Amino acid sequence: MAKAKVAFFDFTCCEGCQIEMTNFGDAAFLELLNHVEIVEFREVMSEKTKEPIDIALVEGSFTREADRKRLEEIRNRAKIVIAYGACAATGGVNALKNHMTDYKEDVYGKDAGMPHLDSQKALPISAAIKVDYCVYGCPMDKYELLRILSHLLHDKEPVIPNYPVCVECKRNGTICRYQEGDHCIGQVARAGCGAPCPADGIPCEACRGFVDKPNEKALKKVLIEKAKFSEKRAESKSRIFSANLRSDAQ
Amino acid sequence: MMNAYFITEKDFKNFVSAMVQSLTVIGPVAKRKKFVFAKLESAEDLRLDYDVTLLPPKKEFFPPSQDMVRFEKDKYEGCISPQEKILLGVHFYDIKAIDMTDRLFREKNEDWNYLANREAATIIGSNIQTISERAFWGTVGKDVPPKGHDGFITKINGGYVYETRGDKGEALVKFGSFAKATDAQVKEARAVNENVMGKCPEKLNRSSKEIAEKVRKAFSKEAFWEALAEDCFSCGSCNIVCPTCYCFDVQDNWNLDQVSGARTRYWDACLTEDFAKVSLGGGATENFREERAERFRHRIMRKASYLNEKLGGPACVGCGRCSAACTSDIADPVNVINKIMEA
Repeated sequence: MAKAKVAFFDFTCCEGCQIEMTNFGDAAFLELLNHVEIVEFREVMSEKTKEPIDIALVEGSFTREADRKRLEEIRNRAKIVIAYGACAATGGVNALKNHMTDYKEDVYGKDAGMPHLDSQKALPISAAIKVDYCVYGCPMDKYELLRILSHLLHDKEPVIPNYPVCVECKRNGTICRYQEGDHCIGQVARAGCGAPCPADGIPCEACRGFVDKPNEKALKKVLIEKAKFSEKRAESKSRIFSANLRSDAQ
Repeated sequence: MMNAYFITEKDFKNFVSAMVQSLTVIGPVAKRKKFVFAKLESAEDLRLDYDVTLLPPKKEFFPPSQDMVRFEKDKYEGCISPQEKILLGVHFYDIKAIDMTDRLFREKNEDWNYLANREAATIIGSNIQTISERAFWGTVGKDVPPKGHDGFITKINGGYVYETRGDKGEALVKFGSFAKATDAQVKEARAVNENVMGKCPEKLNRSSKEIAEKVRKAFSKEAFWEALAEDCFSCGSCNIVCPTCYCFDVQDNWNLDQVSGARTRYWDACLTEDFAKVSLGGGATENFREERAERFRHRIMRKASYLNEKLGGPACVGCGRCSAACTSDIADPVNVINKIMEA
């Protein structure tokens, strides 16, 4: 059986999810190369391809109409498109700007009018092209990527959790942040990461986005009543990684 | 064989030390301000004054994730490899819960992934010295006695009474300087365990039978369940911390070499949205408990009614873990059941 041809592409992002891939270390990464052929991956190689590919891993959010053509071109020659990391899967942290109008001045100051800084709303790549699977997380979880790849290599449907991070915290025997007088938004956050942050005493920020049906109203209530947040802070808390998944998404 | 022994406070520590040195002993230990069942490294770790542990002791037989089969190409083998261990300091409500999961994993297809671990364990209970904030074990399933354990330790003045219940419990006596307990000491131990029953902060006011019937009749009160579940996150915390929940999901995963891997089961939770999602074939699915109120109701039905005939009482032991784990504070069975009973 020929090895599956895999290529990495990036749009609006920090490319940290591609770097995360290289954090597997030599042994794991080289073993993976026995099963897939990486044909484009600009973080680690200079070769590029215009040939058909089996699996396209697309990092970054869709923030410029001008990027649509390139996304479509990737889609047209890829059998499977995977939104690779939070920005591609949900718009990620980039979507924090979507409810604002003055972000350009705020960030770039006097250069705000430069044409190359022009961008629109930060959207998941699914706003431009059909996406087959998502590897969630900021950065994406490399072990989840491996699970998804190996399921695809075996022609099986990958299983991506639609339950919240609480399930994983409880399985881990982690003390709930709320029981330590802290806050957390793990109740609405999509699991699959193994809940390492609360295990280290850090609240979940839902970097993997929401579960399919987050109870936003209850979250706000709990943040106010239990974590003693102001109404405004409770209201905006989940925006950090999940702006496009909220009921008030622009 | 049931015998009652007495051991002084000081000798008790030596007894635990001696066991820790030659056996795997799992007991309640501190985790910040909470408690967990963990392997004792020394007698000092043991905290018999704990209120309740984050996870119930069932994890020692039915871990949160458990490999069932390992495979490599066309070869495969089961993963059952029981380790002998002593569970020391299990409260009576968790003993009741273990007895329930014993029965549930034994009925119909015997589940040896659980039963082998269970049979390799010795369970030694201990009396409740500190009562947790959400406990209601004093009034739930009163007709269901704790059983299936191998011994029980009760702290009395000057030391502990150790009552054995069979060979496994008797086999531990050799690790300590025990004397035969006097009748007065056995009486004192009984009083300690009886007195604590009235001290829970939360109470059910009716019998299990009355509750089972009326809860069942409340099934069709949809507005009632919807109101109760309004703040439910479908996060499954109430299930995952429950000592009588026994549902699991099974997944296959390949190792990096793509030819070897494992079939693993994970604790599942019926409050989560996809729990009841089943395949209809050809990529189509059906979710037979799609609404969160239906899932919320299902849990209460399971705990207060559905399993009663099979278990002789409710599938709830009053540990209060679900109440404490629910950030919206809507999971408390006492609150739900009392609302139904008062309606």
